[in-house]
Amino acid sequence: MFRLLEETGFKRVRSAVVSGFRFRNDSTRDAAESYGVKSVLITARKPGPK
Amino acid sequence: MSDSTSQVADEQESLEAALKGEVLRMYQEVADNPELEFHFFHGREAAEMFGYSKEWLDRAPPGAVASFAGVGNPHERSYVQPGETVLDLGSGAGLDSIIASWQAGPTGAVMGVDLNPSMCLKAQAHAAASGTTMECHEGRMEEIPLHDEAVDLVISNGVINLSFQKRKVIQEIFRILKPGGRISFTDIVSAKQLSQAIVNDPKLWAS
Repeated sequence: MFRLLEETGFKRVRSAVVSGFRFRNDSTRDAAESYGVKSVLITARKPGPK
Repeated sequence: MSDSTSQVADEQESLEAALKGEVLRMYQEVADNPELEFHFFHGREAAEMFGYSKEWLDRAPPGAVASFAGVGNPHERSYVQPGETVLDLGSGAGLDSIIASWQAGPTGAVMGVDLNPSMCLKAQAHAAASGTTMECHEGRMEEIPLHDEAVDLVISNGVINLSFQKRKVIQEIFRILKPGGRISFTDIVSAKQLSQAIVNDPKLWAS
């Protein structure tokens, strides 16, 4: 996602992990953990004057 | 186009259609039956987990709060200013649109885009009940139904990960943002490539 944003032309791409995110079920949670699944907050800006 | 390329394109199209159906089904179920338990947290419990203020949750229509199915809090760094035009991509039952609308004020505007026309109607009704307005457009995030450079800010909450065409979605967001415009979204990312079994299973992908 980060790379896609930069390649599209976005600037000042920033991300932070959403610390409270988790799945409800143990099985889903375990599967998600094995793939390194996490929720992130992403911000970026389109170049140009505001 | 060769036969094999054509076959891959057909399979991709079929998967995307199945995914669209599963996404519509799942989020409609959250909206219609918020009292049920899903594999993800939803409703007020989830919103509180992600730091939505108590004031917002008390002020918003109960239906919008109960159907909340986000994965974080895009308002944490959205910094909506009075008078701004905001797009909520995948607006669902409307909680994020309503919060953005309160911040943008009467001189601003909030638009939603959602795959599901009945969710658009629900979000607009929730906005009206909360004393604000939003204009919701039925549409796909890969072809956002807005003109170029239409908005100051795009917010989104747990939606872009559902697309098979993320590059196209990001390009569409770039297109509809004004110069100097910004994004603030929360979404699910994976550190590893998902297995083909997950990619080929719309139920798992929609999760």
